[in-house]
Parts: sequence; C-alpha cells; structure tokens
Amino acid sequence: MTYKDKLDRILLKVQKPSRYIGGELNSVEKDPAKVTMRFAFCFPDTYDIGMSHLGMKILYSLINEVPGYWCERVYMPLPDMEEQMRKNDILLYGLESLQPIKDADFIGFTLQYELSFSNILAMLDLAGLPVYAKDRPDLTPIVCAGGPCVCNAEPIADFVDLCILGEGEEVNLELMRLLEQCKAEGTDKHEFLVRAAKIEGIYVPSLYEIEYNDDCTIKSITPSEGAPCKVRKRIIKDFDRVFYPETFVVPFSEIVHDRAVVEVLRGCIRGCRFCQAGYLYRPFREKTVETIEKETISLCESTGYDEVSLTSLSTSDHSEIERMLGTLANYSDAARVNLSLPSLRIDSFSKELVDRIKSVRKSGLTFAPEAGTQRLRDVINKNITEENVMNSCRIAFEGGYNAVKLYFMLGLPTETMEDIDGIADLCQKIIDLFYSIENRPKGGIKISVSLSTFIPKPFTPFQFEPQPTEDVIRERQKHLMEVVNKKRVTVSRSHFDVTHLEAALARGDRRLSAVIYAAWKKGCKLDGWTEYYKYDKWMEAFKECGIDPAFYVNRPRSYDEIMPWDHMDVLLTKEFLIRENMQAHEARPTPNCRKACAGCGVNKCVGRPCFDYS
Amino acid sequence: METKNIRVFFSKTGRAIYISHLDLYRLFQRSIKRSKLPVWETEGFNPHVYITFALPLALGTAGICESLDLKLTEEICREELISRFNDALPRDIRVTDAAEPVMKPTEIALSEYEARFECDNAAFAEFLSSEHIMTEKKTKRGIAELDLKEHLSILGQSDGYLRFTFPSGTEFNINAGLLFDAFEKQTGTEIYTLRITRTAIKCRNGENFH
Ligand code: SF4
Repeated sequence: MTYKDKLDRILLKVQKPSRYIGGELNSVEKDPAKVTMRFAFCFPDTYDIGMSHLGMKILYSLINEVPGYWCERVYMPLPDMEEQMRKNDILLYGLESLQPIKDADFIGFTLQYELSFSNILAMLDLAGLPVYAKDRPDLTPIVCAGGPCVCNAEPIADFVDLCILGEGEEVNLELMRLLEQCKAEGTDKHEFLVRAAKIEGIYVPSLYEIEYNDDCTIKSITPSEGAPCKVRKRIIKDFDRVFYPETFVVPFSEIVHDRAVVEVLRGCIRGCRFCQAGYLYRPFREKTVETIEKETISLCESTGYDEVSLTSLSTSDHSEIERMLGTLANYSDAARVNLSLPSLRIDSFSKELVDRIKSVRKSGLTFAPEAGTQRLRDVINKNITEENVMNSCRIAFEGGYNAVKLYFMLGLPTETMEDIDGIADLCQKIIDLFYSIENRPKGGIKISVSLSTFIPKPFTPFQFEPQPTEDVIRERQKHLMEVVNKKRVTVSRSHFDVTHLEAALARGDRRLSAVIYAAWKKGCKLDGWTEYYKYDKWMEAFKECGIDPAFYVNRPRSYDEIMPWDHMDVLLTKEFLIRENMQAHEARPTPNCRKACAGCGVNKCVGRPCFDYS
Repeated sequence: METKNIRVFFSKTGRAIYISHLDLYRLFQRSIKRSKLPVWETEGFNPHVYITFALPLALGTAGICESLDLKLTEEICREELISRFNDALPRDIRVTDAAEPVMKPTEIALSEYEARFECDNAAFAEFLSSEHIMTEKKTKRGIAELDLKEHLSILGQSDGYLRFTFPSGTEFNINAGLLFDAFEKQTGTEIYTLRITRTAIKCRNGENFH
C-alpha cells in the first residue's frame, strides 16, 4: 500500500486535511528516479505557521532549481494527525513525494524560536529515527539545523549532526554537493562531518569538547579534527542579486500570512540592544527599488495572491523608501492587489502616500516604544521619542483613527518602578492629545498595551544581563495595572511560564540537551501553543536532570565568562557587545549605523564600510 | 458592461479531494487572477472575482463533472479558456470544458457516485439489502433521523464496488459518505481505502446538468 493510500484512510478523520497532502499550486514534484539528493526541509511547527515563513520559501525554491536535487516541505502534525499516523504506521513524510523522510539525504530544521526545540525531537521520532545524533550511525539522513537560533545551538547539540550558521542561500548547496560526493566515495558519516566542518558557516557540535568549571560555567571549548576554533557565519554579499523565488507554494487552506511577501532589505541600522535579529542579520543590505518591483510583480502574478507585503526588520529605513512605495503603489493599484507594510513609521511619510497604502488604514496604528521613559529607551537604544509617538498619533487621529496599540517590555536592565509609571503616563498623554483635537473621530479613544517580558539573548549587548525573577516581573505588572487609566487602556501580558523557558533555552549550554530530551519524554511538544504547553513538565525535567533554570536565566554574567556560544562568530566582536553594554548602563544611546559606525566588526569581515559616510 | 455567462466544468481528484468548499472558492479566485482571464469582478472597496458553484462537493469525495459559473467581459474561445485555466490551477484540479449555461442549479435533483472500497463484502451486501438504513443527519433545525435506503438507488454493485445515486441540490442533499459511515456504525467493522467519485450530476428531467 502506498503512503497516498494510507493517507486516504486517515485524512478525513483529522482537522483541515489539505495541509497534510501537498499538491498545492507551485509545489515541486520531481521524478524520484532522477533525484540524487533529497532534502527534507522541516519547519518544527505546524503547516499554518511554517508555510508562512519566508526563509523556507527561499531555500525551497533555491534547492529545487538544481536538477537532481529535490527539496520537500515537512511540518509538525497536530495531535489528531499524529495519533492517526501512529495508529496506521505512517512515518513522517515529505509533502511533495509522500515518502518517509528517513530515506532523505538531509533532514534540515529551521529554528526560528527556542520554543520549537522539542518539536525537533518529536519530528525525528515520528520519522522513525533515533533523536540522539550518536544513535544514527549511517551517513544519511544527515540531520541539520539553521535559522537564527543556531547562533546558540548548544541546547540541541546532542540531536543534530551539524548546524548552518548565517544565511543559507549559498552554503546549503555546497553542503549538498559535499554529501553527494561522500555518498559516491562511500565515506562514513564521521568523515563527512569532518569535511563539512571545513566549509565556512558549518558547525559540527560533536567535534567540540566543552569543559566546565566547578561553578558550572564553561571552562573551555576545544575543537578537534581540524574543526575551526570559531565558526564564522555566512552572509550574502551581493544582496540585490541574491536568489529570490519567482513564486511561492500557494496553500489550499488559509495560513497565518497568506500573501506574497517581498524582502526589501536585510539587517537593521537601529541597534536596539535587546533585539537579537538586529545584530544577527548585520550588515544592513538593501535591494534596489527595481529589484523589489520586479520580485513583487513576479510573485503576485505567479501566485494569484491579491495581497503583497514588504518585509524586513525595518522597512522604513530603506534609503529610497518614498520612491519604492510610490512605484509599488502604482503597480498595486493597476493590478488590484493590496500592498501592506507592517511596522511602518508613519510620521516620516507624506500623508498622500500613507493614504494610498490601504493596509495602513486597516491594521490601525502600532508603536513599539518598548520602555516607558526616555531614560530607559536610551538604555535599550530604542530611538523612538515621545515626540515621534505624539506626532504620529496626531496624524492618525486627524485621519480618523481612534485606536492605538503600544508594545512595551518589562524587566529590562536598570528598570525601576518609575519606568513603569512612564508607561501609564505615555498612555495618558496620548489620551489627552486625542481629546485636545477638535475634529477627532467620534467615540472615545482605545489604547491597548501589550507587555512582553525581556529575554536576554546571545549576541546582543544584553547577553550578560539577568532576566528578573518571576516575583519582580509580577510586581511590576501589578504596579502598572494600578497606575494605568483602566477606562481607556487595556493591558495584555505575556505568560511568565513561556518567557522563562525561552530565556533558559536561549542562553543555555549543551547540558540542556538532557533536559529537552526529558521534557519531550514527558510529552512536551508544540510548546509555542498555549493549549499544548506544559510548563510543569518542563520544570520537572529540569529538576530530574539536576539543573536549575535560574543558572541560565537570572544570573548576571561577567564580561570575561566564556559563553556557550563563544565559538560562533557572527561577525560581531565581543568587545563591541561589552562596549554597548557599558553604554547601556550609562543610558547612552548609540547613533544608528547610517549616521555613524559603532564599530561592531561586521565591516571588517565584509571588507568595506557599511555606508558611505563621506 | 457587456458580459457573457460561462459555465466551467472541472474535475477535482487525487490530492485535491481534501480541499474544502470554502478553500476551493479562494483557490479559483486566485487561479483566475493568475490566469489573467477577463473575468468580471465585483465593484466596491474590496473587488473580487465573481464565481458561483453549482453544487458543493463533500470533503474527501472526488468529482469529474463539477462546475462553476462566471462572467466574461471579453469574448474568448473555449480552448483558450480551458488551457489558461489549467495553466493556473494546481495539478489535481483540471478544467475539462466550458460552455454557456443551459440549466439552473436549482434544477439539480441527484448525484451519481462510484465507490471503491475494501471491507467485509458479505456484511456490506447484507447491509445494503436491509429494509431501512437509518442514520442521523444534521439539518438547520438540529439532528434528524433519516432513512438512507429510501433515497438510495443502486445502479451497479460487486465486491468492493458500488454505483449509486443520492438526492442532490439546493433543497435536499445527502453526502455519499453517509452511506459508508452508516455501515461502519451499524456493523462495527471498518472500511479501508474508501474512494468515492461523483460521476454525474442529474437534473429533474433526467438530463445531465450542463
Ligand atoms: S560595522 Fe558599523 S555600520 Fe556596519 S553594522 Fe557594524 S556598527 Fe553598523
């Protein structure tokens, strides 16, 4: 019986079966007889989430352009599907071939958030493979991981064979060629890994030995067999000409971001000190307006989507943003597609332009001041001033809006109750502004405040900082509720349980592999889903492994401590991170990269300054 | 604007049988956009391609004579319409024909199905020959008792094969799958690899819907 037959037996018993069967528009089918390398690209979360992810779409198209290479999509089934698969002996399969992924050459995971770690184990197990790398002696499948979380892959070091650090557009193919060669030569897995470790951007955890001090901090990290002391991340130098798919797979069912997406720039000039992405994706590189226009048209036409969105960490920072938006608005008007621009700083644009872009109207007004006072915003280097917020609000209120959404973080380094009061004050000022406007929209103003909890991340100036304990966070949340204008402001909070685990995993070391294994054995998976998240089981797992999460979460780390990720080179110097950390404690902001170079080190590796400062 | 009504016939088989009716609607909208066919769009703030389906097809059932109606704003020949549609559609949905509509969807009376399956053949034969096949059906007013036997007519039958009709249409509709659900429920046995295909849609006058 084929897998298709087996699936036909179960698919009507599960919710939204079309996400488990492939065959969507633009999905790539190849003749298995002509395929020499099969890459099972796993997104360790559900179809609805994974299908929205841009990086996966890029690499999917890239690999499939190579004759003989076949990239398939694999997602985490929800429990109803998993149950049916297990009952009917269906192993995790690729959506293109409907064949088990255990027979693929590569099983590659993209790690976008720490809470997906347990899904790696769940998916390997569903694929019929041992979860520990050491228990998979065969050359194939090689289990690898990429994405932002591999800048500290230590917590999952025991499960994956290798990691791909940085941008995968070039290195993925190099790796596949190497495996193809090794297969032909009949080398074993170890030999392949030793050779792979010589490719820039490839990290093979098993080739590094970690020694610990008595206080549990790391004493040394020692590579063996010619693996580099520092694994250097890969970056695409000519970003304007980097591969970009002409088309996307168009899902049958609705997914989270069901639209065409064009990446307009990579990196960020802002340098917010808590934001890992802002440091990891350096240097700042943008596409030309012409390239962006070409990609937009090609994607819309080949998918039939009637909505396209521009994506990047900070689209407003594109050097030709006005011309770009004008050009795209001309196309979108003519082709009857909606242009949407998440996180646009509307105070910097002409009103005509804002009016032309429909979704700005639709999604309302959002700001992320992140901190309540200017002092704390200077600490975190978030360069939004109260004046920016007020100006944008005024434009918006006069344009008929009466809802504002504000994002803040609690638990930031140096934060005091005064900063919490600052959040309430800012809300009140916005309310007062609203009522001072004569032609304000009818009905009162509504402000929603979303409070997340600060999570210190590797490769940020805050990698040395502790996350405040649960009691402190709760106290500050409580205080805000007491001082904020409850009639006009609604506050939503992140769950402490979730941020706590995320914080532990983000800056964890290799010893956490045992914890992840134990938690998974206790049934933890789909941790990003409130309905499946089992905090108590995770805490039990920590306890059983004799590890206190506070060691990773709440402990200040000294500048000279060896971090679990110190053998990763993401092109930033540690001196820079320390310098930024010191500046933060003095509440001194750092100008954005376009104004002045802060000397993070990236330019040295690229071999030229990031901007023309003349 | 001068428009011309067109009925587009298509098949929905293979992997596409798991596409729900709502998703199928969105899929055709996008495919039409992709094909750049001159299909009339609604006016207003959020314009969209105007299409209506003659008769929904149950999730999991294949169909080879499904249809939808649309309006063309420009003359376009049948062959070109078909090929441009097919270039824009996923593999398992194929447009087979297009013509001016003759009948109204309200004239539809029944659907013909072909089912292939594996189960206890003797038990299935006995089940089919029983006087009543009672099941529950969700209606607007709640759950109602329904005798499937009353509405079933068998056109052909052998081990693991059944050709039959059930009422279809805007007024009263029975999903083909209900028959097999009822068998599983009544006998407590399982049906493996059930594949149902709608092979014809008939109108009250006995003619195929076209
Ligand atoms: S090298 Fe200078 S300009 Fe370039 S990213 Fe680093 S700090 Fe910014």
